[in-house]
Amino acid sequence: EGPQSALDPAGSAAELIARLWWPTLFVAVLVTLLVLALLAVAIFRAHKRNAALPLSARQSRNLVIAGGIILPLAATIPFALSSFSIGRTIDAPLPDNAMTVEVIGKLWWWEVHYLDEAGDRIATTANEIHIPVGEPVRFLLKSDNVIHSFWVPNLQGKTDMIPGRTNVTSMTANEPGVYRGQCAEYCGTQHALMAFLLVAEEPEAFDDWLAGQRQPAAAPETDAQARGHDVFLDAGCAACHTIRGTPANGEIGPDLTHIASRRTLAGATVPNRTGHLGGWITDPQHVKPGNKMPPSELTPEELKTLLGYLESLE
Amino acid sequence: MRVLQGIDVADMTRFNPDRRAPLWWGILGLITIESAVVLTFCVSYMYLAAYAEAWPPSGEAPPLLWPSINLALLMTSALTMFLAGQAINRGNQRGLALGVTTSVLLATTVLVLRTLELMAYEFSWKDHAYGSIVWAISVFHYVHVTSIVVGSAVVAILAWRRYFTSQRQIGVVVDTNYWYFVCIAWIPFYLLLFWGPRVYGQ
Amino acid sequence: MTIETHAGPRDVIDSPEETAQLERTWHSPGGFIGWFTHVNQRMIGKRFIITAFIFFLLAGILGIVIRLQLAAPEQQLIGPELYNQFFTMHGTVMMFFFAIPVMEGFAIYFVPLMIGTRDMAFPRLNAFGYYVYLIGGIVLFGSLLLSMAPNAGWFNYVPLSGKLYSPGYGVDVWTTMITFIEVSALTAAVELIVTTLRMRAPGMSLNRMPLFVWAALVMSFMIVFAMPAVIVSSTLLILDRLMDTQFFVVAGGGEPLLWQHLFWYFGHPEVYIILVPALGMISTIIITFTRRPIYGYTALVLSVVAIGFVSFGLWVHHMFTTGLPQLGMSFFTAASATIAIPSGVQIFCWIASLWGAKIRFHTPMLWVLGFFAIFVIGGLTGVMVASIPFDTQVHDTFFLVAHFHYVLIGGAVFPLIGATYYWWPKITGRMMSEAAGKWSFWLAFIGFNVTFFPMHQLGLEGMPRRIYTYATEMGWGDLNLLATIGALVLATGFGVTLINAIWSLFRGQQAEPNPWGAPTLEWATDSPPAFYNFRHIPVVASRWPLWDWERDGERAVVTGLRNDRREVVLTSVLDAKPVGVQVLPAPTIWPFVSAVAASIGFVGIIFHPIFFVIAFFLVFFSLVAWFWPRRPWRED
Repeated sequence: EGPQSALDPAGSAAELIARLWWPTLFVAVLVTLLVLALLAVAIFRAHKRNAALPLSARQSRNLVIAGGIILPLAATIPFALSSFSIGRTIDAPLPDNAMTVEVIGKLWWWEVHYLDEAGDRIATTANEIHIPVGEPVRFLLKSDNVIHSFWVPNLQGKTDMIPGRTNVTSMTANEPGVYRGQCAEYCGTQHALMAFLLVAEEPEAFDDWLAGQRQPAAAPETDAQARGHDVFLDAGCAACHTIRGTPANGEIGPDLTHIASRRTLAGATVPNRTGHLGGWITDPQHVKPGNKMPPSELTPEELKTLLGYLESLE
Repeated sequence: MRVLQGIDVADMTRFNPDRRAPLWWGILGLITIESAVVLTFCVSYMYLAAYAEAWPPSGEAPPLLWPSINLALLMTSALTMFLAGQAINRGNQRGLALGVTTSVLLATTVLVLRTLELMAYEFSWKDHAYGSIVWAISVFHYVHVTSIVVGSAVVAILAWRRYFTSQRQIGVVVDTNYWYFVCIAWIPFYLLLFWGPRVYGQ
Repeated sequence: MTIETHAGPRDVIDSPEETAQLERTWHSPGGFIGWFTHVNQRMIGKRFIITAFIFFLLAGILGIVIRLQLAAPEQQLIGPELYNQFFTMHGTVMMFFFAIPVMEGFAIYFVPLMIGTRDMAFPRLNAFGYYVYLIGGIVLFGSLLLSMAPNAGWFNYVPLSGKLYSPGYGVDVWTTMITFIEVSALTAAVELIVTTLRMRAPGMSLNRMPLFVWAALVMSFMIVFAMPAVIVSSTLLILDRLMDTQFFVVAGGGEPLLWQHLFWYFGHPEVYIILVPALGMISTIIITFTRRPIYGYTALVLSVVAIGFVSFGLWVHHMFTTGLPQLGMSFFTAASATIAIPSGVQIFCWIASLWGAKIRFHTPMLWVLGFFAIFVIGGLTGVMVASIPFDTQVHDTFFLVAHFHYVLIGGAVFPLIGATYYWWPKITGRMMSEAAGKWSFWLAFIGFNVTFFPMHQLGLEGMPRRIYTYATEMGWGDLNLLATIGALVLATGFGVTLINAIWSLFRGQQAEPNPWGAPTLEWATDSPPAFYNFRHIPVVASRWPLWDWERDGERAVVTGLRNDRREVVLTSVLDAKPVGVQVLPAPTIWPFVSAVAASIGFVGIIFHPIFFVIAFFLVFFSLVAWFWPRRPWRED
C-alpha cells in the first residue's frame, strides 16, 4: 500500500472508518453471493428438465419479502446506526485549547498558518503540515479561489474548502510518520499535482519545529548567500513570495521563510533537492504545466547563488 | 387469425376542447414544468436571503404600491380571460374576442408599469446577489407576460376573424390556462420580492 | 374492465385500396428536404437512438484516451488541459447526450407501439425535441474540435466554472447546451406522459400496461420535476458569466453551495431517470424469454414509482464533505439506504419469475443476467457511500468512479444493449447474429469487471478522481494498467455489437412479426412496422394480448378511423375506454425552423445578450407559423 491509503489508518478518525469498512465489506460480499446463488438456482433449476418448475405464488411472495424487504433492512439498519455513531464520534467538538491550524487552498498549493489561542497567526508555511502525535488538532479550512478538499486518508476523511465559508475538521495522529494528503475536489488545471505532506512527530520534536518556523529567516552567512539574497530581491521573486525578515513580502506564492526545512516542492510534486529546486525555478511549467509560477531567466551564476541562499533557509 | 370488429369509433367526436384533448394535457405539462422553475427561483431567492448579512444590502425594503397595482391588474386580466373562455363555451364569438383583447390590454399596461419600475431600480444585477436574483425573477416574469401578450394577441386576431367556435376552441383553452399560470406565478414572486425583504430584513 | 364484443361480431375485411390510402396518409416524405419534415414517432425515435449511440461511441473513445493516459504513472500522452476537457466531455456527453436521449429514443419508438397507437400526442413537438438535441450535441462536440470545450467537470461546480477561473467559451458552451438539451428532454417527457395516459389501445387499463411503458412514464415524470432545477441553475450560471450577476460570486454575496444544491437536486434523480427505463427493459426481456407472466407486476410497478419518489430526497448525499450539519445530513443517509428496498423487491421479483422457468438463453437474456451480477455490486457500494464517515474517505476517489460505473453501465447500459438485441428485429426487420451477440456479451462483461472492479481498491488506496497523472511511488500503477486493459476489452465487446448491427442490416436473416414469441403489442405488427404502425388499432383484454390471441385464434380491433387523415383513438386515463378521436398533424418543416431559431438564441447569447431578444421573436414567429390553422380547418 502506498503512502496515502484509507486502508492503512494511523489516526483516530481513519481507524474508526476502517473499522466500519471491514464488516461492511464482509456483509456486502455475503449479500452478493447470496443473491447470485439464488439467481443461479433459479435459472438452472429447470435447465435439463422437460417442464418448468416454478414457485407457487405463496413461495414467490415469501421470497420477495425475505429478499426484497427483510434482507435490505437487516443489512442497512445496523450499518446506518453504526455509521451515525461513528460520525458523531468523529465530529465531536475539540476542547477550546486544542491546537489550531488554518489551511487555505490555493491554485494549486496549500497555505498553512499556525494559530495561537487568541487565533492570531504565529507561523506560516506551505504544503507541509506538522502535528504532534497523540494530540487532537483542529483545522480551519478556507479557500479564496475555487473549492478544494482537504484530505489525509491515513488520518481522516476529507472536508471541502469552500470560498466564503470556514469548515472545521480535526485529526489525531496515533503513530508518528509522514503521510500524504491530496486535494480531492476538482479545482482546475493542476488538481492532480496539488498535494502536501502531513508530518506527525513526537510532541518535543514538534515543539522544536514550530519554534523554528516562528523565527524570521536566517540572515545570509556567506558572501554567496548574500548575493543569492540580492538575486531573490532583484529577479522579481519577492513580488509573489515572502521571506520573513527580508523586504520580500509577496503574498501570491508560498512563504519561503523556511523553505529549506521542507521535504518537497511545488505542492509535494518533487522532492526538495538542489536539482529539483533549480529545475523548478528555471522552468516551472515543465515540472507542473499550467501552474502560476512564471519561468525565470537567470544566468547560471545567479541561479547557483540563489539556490545556495534558499538552501540556507532552514 | 380471425380479426373481429371490437369497437367502432366512426361516430365519436373529433373535437376535444376540454380535458379530453391531448393539447390540454400538454399545456398542463408545460405549466407543471414552469411551476417547478418558479419554485426553484423562489428557493434560490430564499437560500441567498438566508445566508446574506443584510437583505437587501441597502437595508431599505422596496416600495409596495406599484407592485400591488400590478398584481391587481394581472388578477383582473385573468378574470377577463376567464369570461372570454365562458363566452366561447356559449358560442359567443364577440364575447371571446372582447375578453381576450381586454386581457391583452391589461397585461400590456402591466408591462408598461413594470418597465418603469425596473428603470427606477436603484441597484443593478451586477451589484450584489440581491440585485441579481431580484432582476432575474423580474425579467423572468416580464418575459412571460410579454409572451402571453403576443401569444394572446394572435388568439385575439383569430377570435375577431371568427375562427373559434364552441367546439373548435382548444386554442382558447390552451391560451387561457397558460394565462392563468402566468398571473398566478406573480403571486409568489410578488410576496418574495416585495414582502420578503420585510421578513428577511428583520 | 372487459370490452364487450357485441353478439355476432363481424370479421374485419381489409380492402387493398383502403390500406394503400392509409399508407399514403401516414407516409413520411422522401428526399433531403423531406427528411426535415418527418414527424412520425418511429422516425423520430430511431433518430434519437442512432444519434445517442453515435455520442456513446464518441464519448467512449474519450474514455479510452483517459484510460490510456492513466495506464501508467507519469504518462505524457495528453497534458492536463486536454485531459480536463476530455473527462468533462466524457461525463457530460454520456449523461446528457447519450443516456437520457437513448432511453427517450427507445420510449418514443416503442411506447406508441406497445400501447397500440399510431403516433404520439404531439408529433411536431417530438420532431422539435430531436432537432434541439441534434443541434445541441453538434455544438458541444464542435467545441471540442475547436479546442474550446468545457473543462470544469460535468458537475461544473462554481466558482471554478465562474468567469474568473474559467475564462473562454468552454463553460458558456456547456451551460447553454445543457439548458438546450433539457428542453429536448422535457418535450419528450410531456409527449410520453400525454401519449401514455390518453392514447392507449381500448381495454389497456393502467394495470395492463406493459412494464416498459410504466417505466417510461415514471421516467417522464421524473424528468418533468428534476430538469427545471438544472435549467434554473445553469441559467443563473450563464447570467453570472455573461451579465456579471453575482449569484455564485462570494464577494458579491453569492453562494457557491446554492449551485451544488440545485445541481444535485437534479443530478441525483438524473441517475434514476437513466436507470428506471432500463428496469422496464429487464422486465420486458424476462417475460419474453421465460415465456410466462412475470411474478409481482404490481410490486414491480410500485417499486419503480417508489424509486422515482425517493430519488428526489437524496441529493445531499453528494455533498457529505461540504461541512453541512451532521444531523441534517443523517436524514439523507437514511433516505439513501431506503432505496435498497424497492431495488431489492425488483431483483427478487425477477428471481421469483426466473425460478425454475424454461429460460431461452438468447443474447438479450444474457445481457440481463449480466446486469444482475453487476448491479447488485453497484447497489451495495451505493449503500456504503450513503454513510457519511465512509463517504468522507471515498468521495471523489476512484471508489466512486467504480461505484457509479457499476450502477450506470451495469444498471443501464447492459439492459440497454440487451434491449437493442431484443427490439432490433422490430426496428430493422432483420435479426442480429446470436453468436456475435454472445461474444460481445462475454467480452463486455469480463472487460467491464476488469476495468472497474480494481477502481474500488484504487479509491481506498487514496487515488482521487479527475487527476491526469500520479507519481510512481503512489503504488497505483499496476491496478491502473489492469483497468486500462479491461477498458480495451470492454470497448472490443461493444465494438462486436456495432459490427453485428451493421452486418445484420445487410446480411441479417429476415425477421418475422414476432420472432421471440413476446406478448406485447409492438410484436403484433410487421417488422419493421408500416408508417401507420397498426393496420387496425387493437383492442386489449389482458396484460399479454399476443398470448391471448394465440390461444383464442381471434382478436378484436377498432374500426371507424378515417384513412384519409391521421386519426388515432383517445381513451380514458385509468381504464382506457375510448372517448374520442384525435386528428394528428401532417409532416411540416416548422419544428426544424423553430429549433434553428431557438439555437440561434442559445448559441448567440454566448457572444451577445441581444440574441436572446432576437431568438425570442424568431421563435415566436415560427411557432405562429407552426400552429396557424390552415383552411380547410382540419377537424371539419
